[in-house]
Amino acid sequence: MAHLVCEVVYRGIFQKNLAARITRGIVLSARKSGRWGIAFGRYGDSPQRNGVPAKDFAIVADSKEELEQHMARYEPKELHVTICVDDTLCKGVESWAWYGLQPINRLILPDGHLLVTTTQSADDLLTDIHKKDAPYHIWLLQGKASFAGLWVYKEDHTEVRLLGALAKIAPQFLTIEGVAEAIREAEWGSDLKVESARKAYERIQSRLVKITEGNPETPYSFELPRWWEMREGVTIPALPIGKPIEGGKGYRPERSPVFKKFSTRTMRPVIDFDTCVKCTLCWLQCPDSCFDVTPEGLYDANMESCCGCGICEAVCPVHNCITMVNESAFEDNASQWEMWRRDKDAYKVWLAEKIRDKVTTARSHGFRYRGQYEEELNLGELELGGAALASGIPGENAKQKGLISGVHEDKSTSIVTGVAEAPGG
Amino acid sequence: MAVETKTRAPEVLEEKEMLISGSEAIAEALTLADIDVVTAYPIRPYDTVMQAIAKKIANGKLVAEYIVAEGEHSQFEIVKHASTVGARVFCGSSGVGWMYAMEAITVTPALRVPMVAMVGNRALDDPGAFGVEHNDALSVRDLGWLLCWIDSSQEAMDTTLIAYRVAEDRRIFLPIAISCDGAFLTHSQAITRVPPKEWVDKFLPPYNRGDLLLHPDNPITVAPQVNEDWVIEIRRQNNAATERAYTVIPEAYAEFQKIFGRGTENPWFEEYMTEDAEIILMGMGTLSLPVKVAIRKMREDGKKVGLIRLRWFRPFPYTQLAKALRKAKAIGVIDRDYSFGSPFGSGVVATEVRAALYNADHRPPLIGFICGLGGREVTLEDVYKVTEICYTAAEAGRAEKATYWLGVRE
Amino acid sequence: MAEATTFVNATQMLEPFKGVKKVTIEEYFSSGHRTCQGCESALVMKLMVKAAGPRTIVLGSTGCMYVANTTYYSTPWVVPWMHTQLGSSGSAALGTAAGLKALMKKGKMKAEPINVIAFCGDGGGADMGLGAISATLTHKEYNSLILLYDNESYANTDIQLSGMTPYGAHTTFSPPGSVKRIIHTRWKKNMAGMLAAGHSECRYVATVCASYAVEMMNKVRKALSIGGPTFIHSLDPCPKGWDYDPMLSHELGELAIETGIFPLYEVEDGVVKYYGKTKAIVDGRPRKPVREYLLKQGRFAHFIEEDLAYFQAKVDVMWEKWEIPGVVSFRKDSKQTT
Repeated sequence: MAHLVCEVVYRGIFQKNLAARITRGIVLSARKSGRWGIAFGRYGDSPQRNGVPAKDFAIVADSKEELEQHMARYEPKELHVTICVDDTLCKGVESWAWYGLQPINRLILPDGHLLVTTTQSADDLLTDIHKKDAPYHIWLLQGKASFAGLWVYKEDHTEVRLLGALAKIAPQFLTIEGVAEAIREAEWGSDLKVESARKAYERIQSRLVKITEGNPETPYSFELPRWWEMREGVTIPALPIGKPIEGGKGYRPERSPVFKKFSTRTMRPVIDFDTCVKCTLCWLQCPDSCFDVTPEGLYDANMESCCGCGICEAVCPVHNCITMVNESAFEDNASQWEMWRRDKDAYKVWLAEKIRDKVTTARSHGFRYRGQYEEELNLGELELGGAALASGIPGENAKQKGLISGVHEDKSTSIVTGVAEAPGG
Repeated sequence: MAVETKTRAPEVLEEKEMLISGSEAIAEALTLADIDVVTAYPIRPYDTVMQAIAKKIANGKLVAEYIVAEGEHSQFEIVKHASTVGARVFCGSSGVGWMYAMEAITVTPALRVPMVAMVGNRALDDPGAFGVEHNDALSVRDLGWLLCWIDSSQEAMDTTLIAYRVAEDRRIFLPIAISCDGAFLTHSQAITRVPPKEWVDKFLPPYNRGDLLLHPDNPITVAPQVNEDWVIEIRRQNNAATERAYTVIPEAYAEFQKIFGRGTENPWFEEYMTEDAEIILMGMGTLSLPVKVAIRKMREDGKKVGLIRLRWFRPFPYTQLAKALRKAKAIGVIDRDYSFGSPFGSGVVATEVRAALYNADHRPPLIGFICGLGGREVTLEDVYKVTEICYTAAEAGRAEKATYWLGVRE
Repeated sequence: MAEATTFVNATQMLEPFKGVKKVTIEEYFSSGHRTCQGCESALVMKLMVKAAGPRTIVLGSTGCMYVANTTYYSTPWVVPWMHTQLGSSGSAALGTAAGLKALMKKGKMKAEPINVIAFCGDGGGADMGLGAISATLTHKEYNSLILLYDNESYANTDIQLSGMTPYGAHTTFSPPGSVKRIIHTRWKKNMAGMLAAGHSECRYVATVCASYAVEMMNKVRKALSIGGPTFIHSLDPCPKGWDYDPMLSHELGELAIETGIFPLYEVEDGVVKYYGKTKAIVDGRPRKPVREYLLKQGRFAHFIEEDLAYFQAKVDVMWEKWEIPGVVSFRKDSKQTT
């Protein structure tokens, strides 16, 4: 390879600064061995939205001329390494309407690499990752997904560990010494971070994925219409009005058939229909109109539309009635109400198993109070992304649901400055 | 006693004569066209049309919503939106007022809104002047507006009616700007024939927005955010609509002639004494008047000079023009506009005519003349000078200089 | 054409919902929009048209609720919706209402009351489009609602400050740095109060928050029924721009009101009426300290005690010094305390 093309596939906004550090880090590390490089965000992803999958790219080459092939391009057509910084993205990525569901490994060249931060095993991930028609290597970096936001960054060393891992994957372009040097020079660098990078470099291992392995489902896609098939005046038909569900009762809105949004979520709500008091608040407060009203007046979240914000859990007044659970615990988008209807006892068992780990379920959603990230990292293993704190979980009914909420003693002492280095606008 | 039989004389519909300016003529046309919504904002010299419309409404001659906006941007946005719900609309501005509305003006053709607007051509300030220059209307020439220039009150009246017919044709659905030279047309009153409403009703069908109508009975989403997967297809649609204007415009003029009993065969430009012309002069708007006077004088001296006064600038009638110019020995284009830094420093019209002739078998010397800016008159002397330079070029077979600035105090 | 003398420029008579269980079930803004997780502005859109019903035309000016909501060749809207320019919410409302009125008056279209709602963000409304909104509010003969959804930044362009961004907030135009901690020293414009005070022909101005959904929808219904041009200002917590876990959206909306930072009220024919927890505050209930709200958001993570104290003092003045507390900043006492 005389050039190395990498992408970082990440959760928009939550991992925007992380992706920027990684792609810039790749270029700056490769520079230490005399290479040229560029780092850029995929322009169409901008403006980014919380959770909606986005991509940044880093391309390094031996010469400037070689680099030029990749410049003034929107997105590489194929690449050597895909870095996936949230393992729920392995289910596939839909970034905007009419895009279809794109497998996480779609752009990887044969014999290329998929590097994933995860706490799952490769076998578990391969029930989500779609089959590919060529073999590739999968590398797993142990740890939770690193989530923060635009202004306050979580210094959990994810970016340096990934850079260290890359030095193992593509040593012709990134030497571990180059990575160490680039980290030290970075504004956010430190000796501790160099150590983390080295550890990752030493420990990371790969496994070959055969063409027979992976999720056999064909991801949905769309064929774009031609100019004369499109209605004039930049005009399209509206969504049709919704309909009752059964026997004239209930209500199911029509939802966009070409933009499903479920690949935005990292958690999904699990609903206990037996304890629901039909207060209507989850249905009313859902910004994405996900809830169908069932004929008996219950509320069923449509799993093709739900983007996993968690507001429904926050507003629900009943303890354990709605619980946000990590998306990796699920295999499909089946309707929970249908499951419950079919067999209420089996559903109860299924529900209990899903929400069992609720308190420690990774709250991979960002800032709740100042000092939170430091607290998480102090209380847990840095290498695994720190502890999962349940405090600060909001909702006016938090107390009555037995959750810790309220004001946190402000423990942070530093004046936080934002990470203003993200490419791609 | 004899029984009185009352016989009613058959109604003889005919045009009546009025002494009105170009602006007032447009107001007459708008009344006949029964526009629904009009927005006004003061800037000279176009706003005489809005004053005329206000009088029409106050006196009950026209029923329309008349809204005085707080700025030209809003002025053009208001009527753009009124058009999407099916209202027939009118708007207008001059000079920098037109520029202030530029965002609205830009999206109007993209949204396929058939607005008819009057541009009272005025110099762009700074330097502030109210006199005529064509750059205001010309500045939108790439965006999908259909653009025409007129040179008399009569033409103002007739073209307004034709503009609604063309703009609201479903094959087109594009806005049309009718340019009227400031002062010479907007403020100068001439005898104008105004047709009866019955003829106009025959000529102008009601505005029917069809499947693009914004109304609860036709649920649509208009202009969602687009990305790079779609833009070029949408532009392609606009291109197709603009090209269809080459068909729809002549159809409208032909129909006009049939119903009103007058009009012109050739909608694209007026040809004055061009059949045997050696030198053909070109221009837009009221400069045609001194040019025609000068031509008649020069003809007395045996000079074979003619004028092509371009009416439609967009779509640009390049095929027809190449044909009309094919026998000329030299062409002098008088631009009442400027285009700093253009090829040869020529004005806009000269540059476009030059482009139209690039592939022609016969390419006579073409010289551009920048003249009459900021309301300065185009004088007979100017026209004689133009013609002289053209004759020199015709004899030499080539032009010494491609562009001249006329009338500047050197 | 003669003016139809029987035309009455009626509005729809939309009755207020008497509680959550009475809220209509139909959705006129559905799933399939590319908004952030936890986007309160999207919720506002949903509630706004749920309240308005099917005989509604919505004009959406440029901003998140245009770009994020409508990704071409798909749409989440069930009612007719059209884009308008960033500063054009006022003119879009006016033009649409005037067009409909003209056609109905002249018998060119079946006469029926059709809701016209134009929305704008805080950038498009309070900054660029303020002039157009003001003009529209003077036209009592046209019925429309202008709804300003305020996520306190130009959010769609990846968060820049606007005239409605709170003091000191971190945006890409106001990053706290080692030399300047606070770049944005301006205080938030008071849109609702300003517009209510300055447009006597406008019969209805209100502030809302989607955390109090039924109240919000009822205010939308009142605005659409009362006749003439109306204005609603909605405060929308924004997980992206404010930097917080999306689950917090509902709670932050409540805290904004409980701290007195955002007051809930309406001005109907010149009469001010307070709502919910704001009414309690006016009646003497202590406000929660502003730090409880501010420190839950990453955009204020750089605040030191001095900043928090300043913010608190400004909010105190709203309730302790203003003649009409929370609504308009006129006072009897000329001695400035802030």
